[in-house]
This record gives sequence, structure tokens and C-alpha cells, in this order.
Amino acid sequence: MKRIRPYHLLSLLMCFGVAVVPVSADIFSQCPPDTDGMDTDGDGDAGNDHVCLHVTASDGFVNMADGRLMYMFGFHDVTGLPDADVMADGMLGAEFPAPTIEVSEGQKLYLSLSNVGMMVRPDLFDAHTIHYHGFPEASAIFDGVPGPSVSINMGSSITYFYNNVEPGTYMWHCHFEVTEHMQMGMLGNLVVRPIQNNLPNLTDLNGFTHQTGYTYAYNDGDGSTYYDVDYPIQLHSFDPVFHDASFTVQPLPFANMKDTYSMLNGRGYPDTVNTAELLNTADDEGYEARYSQKVHSLIEATEGDKILLRVSSLSTTLFYTVTTTLGVPMKVIGRGARLLRSASGQDLSFETNALNIGGGEGLDVIIDTTDVGPGTYFLYTTNLNYLSNDTEDFGGMMTEIVIAAAPLAVTDDQPPVRLRRVDTTKRIRGGKPLR
Amino acid sequence: MRTHLHSKGTQFTVAVMAALALFATDAYAVIDGLTGSTFTLSAKDGYVLGGDGLSIYTWGFADDTGPMQYPGPTLIVNQGALVTVSLKNYLPEPVSIVFPGQEGVTATGGVAGQLTQEAPADNGATTVEYQFQASEPGTYHYHSGTHMDLQVEMGLVGAIIVRPTEFPIDQWAYNHTDSAYDHEYLFLLTEMDYDVHLMAEFGLWDQIDTTTFHPVYWFINGRNFPDTTLAADTPWLPNQPYNCLPRMHPGERLLLRIIGGGRDLHPFHPHGNNTTVIAKDARLLQSPLGTGADLAYSDYTITSLPGQTVDAIFEWTGAQLGWDVYGHAPGDPMEPFEYAPDHGKPFPVILPGQQELTFGGGYSGSPFLGAAGDLPPGEGGLNVYGGFMYPWHSHAENEIINNDIFIGGMLSLLIIEPHGTPIP
Repeated sequence: MKRIRPYHLLSLLMCFGVAVVPVSADIFSQCPPDTDGMDTDGDGDAGNDHVCLHVTASDGFVNMADGRLMYMFGFHDVTGLPDADVMADGMLGAEFPAPTIEVSEGQKLYLSLSNVGMMVRPDLFDAHTIHYHGFPEASAIFDGVPGPSVSINMGSSITYFYNNVEPGTYMWHCHFEVTEHMQMGMLGNLVVRPIQNNLPNLTDLNGFTHQTGYTYAYNDGDGSTYYDVDYPIQLHSFDPVFHDASFTVQPLPFANMKDTYSMLNGRGYPDTVNTAELLNTADDEGYEARYSQKVHSLIEATEGDKILLRVSSLSTTLFYTVTTTLGVPMKVIGRGARLLRSASGQDLSFETNALNIGGGEGLDVIIDTTDVGPGTYFLYTTNLNYLSNDTEDFGGMMTEIVIAAAPLAVTDDQPPVRLRRVDTTKRIRGGKPLR
Repeated sequence: MRTHLHSKGTQFTVAVMAALALFATDAYAVIDGLTGSTFTLSAKDGYVLGGDGLSIYTWGFADDTGPMQYPGPTLIVNQGALVTVSLKNYLPEPVSIVFPGQEGVTATGGVAGQLTQEAPADNGATTVEYQFQASEPGTYHYHSGTHMDLQVEMGLVGAIIVRPTEFPIDQWAYNHTDSAYDHEYLFLLTEMDYDVHLMAEFGLWDQIDTTTFHPVYWFINGRNFPDTTLAADTPWLPNQPYNCLPRMHPGERLLLRIIGGGRDLHPFHPHGNNTTVIAKDARLLQSPLGTGADLAYSDYTITSLPGQTVDAIFEWTGAQLGWDVYGHAPGDPMEPFEYAPDHGKPFPVILPGQQELTFGGGYSGSPFLGAAGDLPPGEGGLNVYGGFMYPWHSHAENEIINNDIFIGGMLSLLIIEPHGTPIP
């Protein structure tokens, strides 16, 4: 990557009297208190149904699994940070993927977006938006599409509001200059958990006994979407030529867009199985190094568990097909954030070994590991040419599924034992995996 | 400065705009096409305009002596009709037509080809006649059955709609109420590799290699965005008569007829709400013992496969948003299909000041349906009724460009119009 000196561009803009930040703009996150007196998420507390998140949109850097540093645009979580500190923390804070948003059915999400500008490209004046992909009965103002609504300028904030009434697997992404901003990395997972999770202990669900702590993908009414562990797995792909053109202030190759980095949750194998947050090597380019890859894709379960994979794709260009080496089929129980069940109640779920998924598509898949022995298995794309990190073979769209041996004795009133080999305090530098 | 939103004070503006718009010529028909059961299609050449204004040499089917069309005329026939399609060929190589999904197609005249009878390159002297009985209602397409890798790329493709016997007593797509609709729109999805068309224009036939397929234009009904949203039969697009601008009122059912008319898969994403997929390949999603579309499913993105057709129903009322989408005060009268529990609920957030926002041309200045608000000079204006606009587009985002220019391609706009807005 060629190094450019951003302050030269900035000085140039100043010479022409271009204001980089609107005069009266400010960072302003909104979080009204929940005072409606209703317990809409069913957790027994009428005063906690508002969820407030605050993200910034900016540029930044990310390392591909072959070590290559890539310029990108992205979101960064600043929830809880004082508004006065958001500009400083948000600049160059782009993460890939965007922070995963998890809410529960019945919760009202106040999602504030602050546009903190483009440190590396001060010639850009891009606004940003949030598109909650799949949100039911959407309004135009909170759909985040620039043409029919509004986009937030640099130095300012907008708060989106979503009343979450349909559980399921969604996505979120920026919709401003969408082909560019999505290719540049403004993409993330979004999960809405069903209110069925909050049923009283020992509720009978048509013969299935709910217990406190049980989790489901949907309000199935019969326990058929029960799972022990769930993982959002979002498919991504980058075109390095496009990213480098953006970094070096060149015309963007839209027509020739060709993705050669195929990823799960923003990483190629083997970075996918590294549970640490990855520190980028932006300091090689003279910028502050940031933790820009915080989502791993290592799938861990205990023998006998039901694993829910929340598979979605925000690839800008490609359809992918993925499979596993588990030897048991994947049961597709939901798609498009809806239970696969017809209006007349027929079960439309199906078993398969190959999930085909295009950009903007989402599938909920349950894997029953009862007949799977302990060990390490793989989830990978069957588009085998994408098992690569650009020109580096043996990488790309692949991760591991680690099945631990079941504990010897588990009784009903004992929570299942989880084996975790995750050290969440461990952080390593991107491009130089420890494995 | 930040402004709190008020529900009042914009009705007059909207009423004036609506009144003005009533006098505007509205050529946004539902699905345009040829009706009847006897058609003459002439394979001709001509030019289509890309969304970036580039002229693209194209082959297409014309309505008999009419101009070359991309896509070919949409043939709208009734279930049970004996359909006759006569083909004449004005192109430099033999052409034929195949009708995927139609049973018992017969072909007479012309010269025997690989798939069916062909019309030789004889400047329209020979007529090939194809006949079939339109036995099952639904969404179909037709395309060239000769040298298909080149000829379909060049533009020889069109849609067929078979009306059920129940139609028009009931406005249904199939013979069941599950397929009832208030508005129907066609989405014939195709793409073009410009290099192929350029070489064809120059007659460099032996240099054309369709295996290096690299499309740079993506079409809905033969147009790129933003041309998809123009009126049908716009005079400056003489070879692209069909548009794609779906419009509906809250509470209505909108039928999407999606056809994969090209070579690629497209993840088609209609913003605004999930759609219910009720039929594929002109068959209701119906179980062996079921009635109606009892296997229909809901999704937020529809995979369109090459050669496949998908029928889906889209509905929208703005229910359960947690705020009154019309901006009512609690005592105001209800709108039709309004979600009563949200009636009069205030807008949940404070919107940024005008100088902090970039405005879209489709924004009315108000977050409320059927309302308008203050906008800076020169902003807005593309949404006269204060409707909600949603892009309906390929979510392979590289397909919503026109060659190297963003934005364009396989994209149209749905407008959910407030009640009272005329929609043809």
C-alpha cells in the first residue's frame, strides 16, 4: 500500500476555504427513559425496555488474514461514552464487521449514529445512514436510504428508533452510496431474540416444557427452535483493488469490482478462529493502531448441544454456498427473520448440507450434535476457490466447530457445563496470528 | 438548531401538491404488454440507452412492424387460450423462440434448428409459427432458442403472463384467493456485457466470447435506474417501453412477478417489509393435499435464479412502529388500515437540524406518511404526495451501478402513497 499524507489534503481543502465540519453541528446521542409502565419485553421489569446504543461512522484500517492492511469505512461502538469524547474515540475507529447488535423482542432500540468524518480522506464529505435490513413495516425515515430520507453529515448525530416486534436474524449496514460504503466494510450482524425466552419456568409449550434459561430462535410454540448456543455468522468479501483505490484517492472500480478476500464475520481463516480482538497495523502507515476486528467465528459447543447458526450475507458481489464436516445435516428453521412455517401452520423447515446465500439473505440453521463425537470440525464454503486469502491459499471463508465431550452427569436442575477455552482479555496484533 | 416535529401545519401544502399532481399525465400503468392470443414478433436490432446515457446495440423482439423492444413485448394471455406466436427474423443469423414452462408447444414453418423451428436470416420473408395452450396461469418468460448464449445476451427475451380463469372477476394471479392483489408489477431481471454488444455492433462476430461474461449493466424490464422510475413509453427511450415504479396504499396487496431473464442469480431485496413468496415457476406453493398457497413463506430477500419466475405478495401498513406513522394527535380520525394502538403516539426521537442533514430527493421534509415539512431550497420534490419511498433492488450491490457509475442498474422504487392518492 502506498502511503499518503492526509494533512496535505487537509491543508489543500483549507486553502480553498472548505469547512470540514458544519458550523453548528454537534454529537448528540438520545436515550429517553422507559416510562410507559409496560413490560414489553416480558422480563418482569416495566422500566427497562429501552435499549440505547451509540455508534460512530468513520474510516479506518483492517488486516486481512494474509496480513495485508486494508483501508476501510466502518462503524464503532461508543455506547456510554460522553458525547464530548465521541469524536476523538470514533475517528479511525472503523470496525469490521460492525459491532453486533443484539436486542430482545419487545425492546425499543434507540440507535444513535455519529458521523465523525474520514481522517484519511479529508477530501470526502460522505454522509452516513443505518439500514436495519429486514426490519418489518419499516418507515422511510428510519430505513436509512438516502434518496427517500435523510443522511447524517460529518460532525453530527442522528438517532434511529426501532420497536422490535419480530424476532430473528437481521443485518445492519450503511446505505449511503451503498455500493461503495458496503464494499468498504460498513456491515454487521443484528439479532432479535424472541419473547418466548422469557416464559415462566415450566411453561408447557404443546408438550415441550420450557425452563428458565432456555433459548429459542423464534416464538415457535413447541420448542422446535430450542438451541444451546448461537453464533451469528455473516459472510463478507472484499476487493483489495477497490479498497486501495479508495485509500490512494483514485477513481473507484465499480464495474470491475472483484472480491478476492472471502470472510466470515470480517476475517479469513485462520483469523476466524482467533477469539481475541485483533489490533490492526495502521501504525505502519502512520496512523494509530486500533482494535478493528472484534468478532470471531469459532463455534464451540458440547456434545449433544443444539447449535443455532444465524447465517447472513452482506457480500457486495457474490453468492456463496457453505457446508460443514460434522457429518450431520443442518436444519434450516428460519429465513428472512421468520420461522419457516406457513400461515396454515405447516412446518417448512428442511435439512440440507449446503446453504446457498446471496447478499442480503439470512438463514437460521440448527445443528443437532447428538450424533457428533468430540473434536474439531470445519464450516467452509464449497465455492472452493474462495478458500483463500487473496493469492494465499488455505484460508478464506472457513472456520472451526469445536465439539467438547459431554460432562459425565448432567441432571435437569443443573446448568449444562460449558467448556470455554476463550481468554477474552487476550488481544493480539492483526496479521500476525498466534496460531 | 434542533427542531421538534409537529404533526400539524403541513396538510395544506400536501393538499395543494396532491391537487396539482392530479392534473399531471400519469402513464404509470400496471403491467404493460400485448393482450389477446395471437401475436407476431419480429426479431430486429436497434439501440437501448443505459442509465448513464450510453447507446447499446441490442437485438430484441418487436411487436410485428413496431420498433425493436428490450425486453420483447409482454404477452398477456388467458388461461386455456390457444396462443399463436408468429416469428419473423430481420437479424443476421437464424432466430427461434422457446417458451419455458409451456406444455405441448408446436412449431411450424422455417428451418429445423437444434431446439425448435428457426426463422432464417431472410429479412422477415419466412414466418415460423409457435402454438401452445396456456394451460396453467402464472408468470413465464420466452427467449431465443437459437445461439442462446449470444442472442439472449443481445436482448431476445420477454415475459408472459397467463391470467387465471378467475380473472378478471377476481383480481388473482392464480385460481385462489391467496394470490389476490390490488396492484401487480413485473420485474424482469437481466444484465448485459457491454463488450459483447460493442463487438456485435462492429460485426466482429468471431471475436465475441460469451464465456468471459462481464456484465456492467443490470436491468429491470429493460431499463436501468433511474430510467426504471420514468413513465412507460417515454419518447426518449423508444426501444425500452416498460418502466418499473410500484406504488400502493397502506393495507393493499402488491404482487411482484419476478423473472430471472439473464444468466446470473440476483438477491432481490424489496425494502419496507418482508414479502410472502406464493408461487415459483408459475405454480402456487401448494402442498399435495392443500388448497391455495399453503406452503408460502416470508422472506426479506428473494433469490432470483436464471430462468426461474417467482410471485410474491408485499403488504405494508406501518403497524407496530411504536409511533403514529401519520403524525396524528390522539384525537385525530384514523386512517384506513392504521394500526390503532400506535394512534397519536409521538415521534420517538428528535431529528437533527437541517444543516446537519443531507436530504434525498424523495424526502418530503416530514417523517410522516402523507405529510410534508420544510426543506432547504432545492431539496426534495420527487415525492409529491408525501409517500414513503423504498428502493427495491439487487442486494448484489455491484449490480446497482450503470457501468462504472453509481447509482443505477437493477433498482426501482416502491412508493407507499397515502390514501386518496390516485394509482392507476
